[in-house]
Amino acid sequence: MEQRLANSWRMSVNDKKFIEEALLSDIRIDGRGPFEYRRLTIKFGKEDGQSEVQLGHTHVMAYVTSQLVQPYRDRPNEGTLSIFTELSPMADPSFEVGRPGELAIELGRVIDRGLRESRAVDMESLCVVAGRFVWAVRVDLHIVDNGGNLIDAANIAALAALLTFRRPECTIGGEDGQEITIHPPEVREPLGLIIHHLPVAVTFGIFGEDKSLVLVSLVLHISIDLSRHGGRMTTTVNSNGDVCAIQKAGGEGVMPSEIMRCLRVASVKAAEITQTIKESVDVYNENRSLRHIKRHLKSAPVEVRVPERGTEGNETGGVATDFSKLSSSEAGGSPMVTKGEEAPSGDAVESTEDPEVKPLTLKTPSLKQETQSPQRTLRDAVKAKQKKKKK
Amino acid sequence: MRDLHLQQLRLNQTQRVRLQTALQKLQDVSPSSAAATVAVADNIPVNHEDGVLKGHGTSELDGQVVATLCGVVERVNKLVYVRTLRARYKPEIGDIIVGRVIEVATKHWRLEINFSQDAVLMLSSMNLPDGIQRRRTATDELNMRSIFEENDVICAEVRGFQHDGSLHLQARSLKYGKLKSGQLLTVPPYLIKRRKQHFHHLENYGVDLILGCNGFIWIGEHVETSNGVMEGDGGNKVEESNESSSHSVPLGEKGQRLMSLETRQHICQIANAVRVLSTLGFSLTTEGILEAAKASISLGINTKDMLGAEFHVQTAEREVGRRMSLLRKKG
Amino acid sequence: MEYVKLSGFRLDGRRPTEMRHIHAEVGAVANADGSASFEMGNTKVIAAVYGPKEVENKGQQIGNKALVRCEYSMANFSTGDRARRPKGDRRSTELSLVIRQTMEACILTHLMPRSQIDIYVQVLQADGGTRSACINAATLALADAGIPMCDLVTSCAAGYLNSTPLLDLNYLEDSAGGPDVTVGLLSKLDKVTLLQMDAKLPLDIFENVMQLAIEGCKAIANLIRQVLLENTKKLEYLRGT
Repeated sequence: MEQRLANSWRMSVNDKKFIEEALLSDIRIDGRGPFEYRRLTIKFGKEDGQSEVQLGHTHVMAYVTSQLVQPYRDRPNEGTLSIFTELSPMADPSFEVGRPGELAIELGRVIDRGLRESRAVDMESLCVVAGRFVWAVRVDLHIVDNGGNLIDAANIAALAALLTFRRPECTIGGEDGQEITIHPPEVREPLGLIIHHLPVAVTFGIFGEDKSLVLVSLVLHISIDLSRHGGRMTTTVNSNGDVCAIQKAGGEGVMPSEIMRCLRVASVKAAEITQTIKESVDVYNENRSLRHIKRHLKSAPVEVRVPERGTEGNETGGVATDFSKLSSSEAGGSPMVTKGEEAPSGDAVESTEDPEVKPLTLKTPSLKQETQSPQRTLRDAVKAKQKKKKK
Repeated sequence: MRDLHLQQLRLNQTQRVRLQTALQKLQDVSPSSAAATVAVADNIPVNHEDGVLKGHGTSELDGQVVATLCGVVERVNKLVYVRTLRARYKPEIGDIIVGRVIEVATKHWRLEINFSQDAVLMLSSMNLPDGIQRRRTATDELNMRSIFEENDVICAEVRGFQHDGSLHLQARSLKYGKLKSGQLLTVPPYLIKRRKQHFHHLENYGVDLILGCNGFIWIGEHVETSNGVMEGDGGNKVEESNESSSHSVPLGEKGQRLMSLETRQHICQIANAVRVLSTLGFSLTTEGILEAAKASISLGINTKDMLGAEFHVQTAEREVGRRMSLLRKKG
Repeated sequence: MEYVKLSGFRLDGRRPTEMRHIHAEVGAVANADGSASFEMGNTKVIAAVYGPKEVENKGQQIGNKALVRCEYSMANFSTGDRARRPKGDRRSTELSLVIRQTMEACILTHLMPRSQIDIYVQVLQADGGTRSACINAATLALADAGIPMCDLVTSCAAGYLNSTPLLDLNYLEDSAGGPDVTVGLLSKLDKVTLLQMDAKLPLDIFENVMQLAIEGCKAIANLIRQVLLENTKKLEYLRGT
């Protein structure tokens, strides 16, 4: 409502009609079926607790930070979790700078409800000194590109970031037992958050006329105006079959039986997405622990090279494995899946072997490079890659 | 009748009882149309074989005619529609309305009437001050403010609808135009019925009463319209000239002749009569207003006490009597 | 804490499927085109509707529909601790958005193009279920203002404590941390237009709780219909011929 209407993309009558007619035959304008997701990519940043999620066109980044604060008076032995969203005009010209619009607030509150009220993150473990010091975890979500379905993408980003976040360990000491020493990560290994379950948001858009409401999911890339047309419903479910939160703020009326059907579809989707998230987090954790091992080795050039190849290989490898899993899970895999496999081209083929090969033959590549180390420069590293391709 | 207003009346126990009995009797005397009330989303009983025409306030759902408004179902031959009560004004061409100027724009004025959009009064639909029928020039456009300014009260007639749904007004006749020296009241539009005459000159009081169809009522000093100059100030009324000859009338700031105290009191009495009737929810007719004003004078009630609890109760009782006598006459 | 005792009674003596006492009145704000006050137990809400009127901000005018605006606010004295609430805080904004979209679903906006309808909802006393009370009050006020609607929207909340689905939670039960399901229903069409839920619930229990809330909505719809019919009848016979 408060968005700058002048800059928002408006759909023509032809587009709307076409979309609705196509939906009647269960096709969407990018060829997906009604309950298919776009290509999901999860990447992580250098630090713990930074994640980047791409769902088709939509790009969301999440950052998790923590701080010691005083707890709320009515909950003295629980930590706090707060979610902040940034919708900058970079993502969509109709977003305004400064004060968050209605969309931003709704997004923040839906994700907040899904994560906090469903007790996904364990709050009591964040307590350090009851009544005086607790950890306040803050999740900042930045929407970099708005390609539709912001809630789902932002939720996945928040979950991925929370899973990989590590807070520094602290010990209570001092004379009166009130002094707290926060140990830097080099001294003591930081701890992860205890997460009981993963609430995944699945958004459905409601299309069709009053008589025949076609409930279709997972909003198209032209999100905002379309979902305004008929309304949308966001369901947050976890893989255990629990409903964590539902948000259907007005819009077209829907039969209760339809809602139950959507919830069942959502729990299936949630299981898939949880799987994807867990895999990428596992890969990230592995990589992280490898990085730590590398830190103790003397050979500097190796340090530079292996993460390059490693992270790239891991990421694409991770994505490729994701695709293989996705394609097996979805009957009649969509064209997007095959495209994804082709894009990283040669690298994908080679690097699929890498994650499996790497742990066993860790020493061998390093040995190889050690012999050539005195003459190696960055340029050689690049050339080495190209040589590999030509093979 | 808004319960809120009645609560403000602070009726004592006897008055409350009297009012309740009066309202009860009204209900018994009420026309049968009250039985055909519907609320939103109610089914309207309709004889399907007749091929019914669905009018305002109705919609179709699964072959049933469903009301979209709260009101009374009216049937005219094959047309079925729902007449709302407390809604905004529903304009028709030829209605006399009273409005207030909101904006002076290029070649037209925007008026606020009690409608979903503001009404437009074109410069060409307005008589020029010198009375000559001629083409409006650029100078006329620049001098629009000398005719009407913001917050002026104007009486006009509905000429038609514009392409975007707002109203087009015209004020070409001499009885239309700027209204001065009086009071503007707002009542719900459903209390004012469309009649042949909306301009009433109450001779006993020397007061003009204009019942605008949009719920805006103007009560002001009587203005003679036979001279041809609408913006006459205070006029050349017979009664007035008598008064002026008897005692000197003080001049106002702009040199206009001020109204006499008596005229002002009459205006207030009529206005209070209108207020009482609208609070009680009775429909506003000239006869009704005059009756109420006469009753207040004959009962010796002060003008300001007319808005008190006692007068309200008495008016209600009088209305009961009137309707019952009407019923007797019919039946 | 025991929210449902073994005898089957709740903290305030109600049964699990019993709603609080409802009192609905039309005509609370004299100046508005339509207004209503709605009470559910100790929760009191006033709604006022202005419109359809000329759009204030010409840039927001929609050529084929009416513009619906809604503002939700809680009075400072509405809760136990008298605190000054900032006007644009996140909860108020979200609730304004929710109420607006719920009412927009039932107002026939295409009948009033280029106009604006303002809905103002003010909570005077908050004792749980303010969202539902606001929507019910807004429905009454819109019907009072003579704005065409396709159906009456009513809303009710339900929860699940001590393994029992409970209808119409009050503040104590709401702050227990259990799930809270708010449903907004188009009564005639039997369709759900508003659905909000927080905290965790297994799928089948959720279905029961939602059904219970839908039953509550239907009961409120009957009551609202009665109130509107009575009010219309009264206006009609007062007006006379």
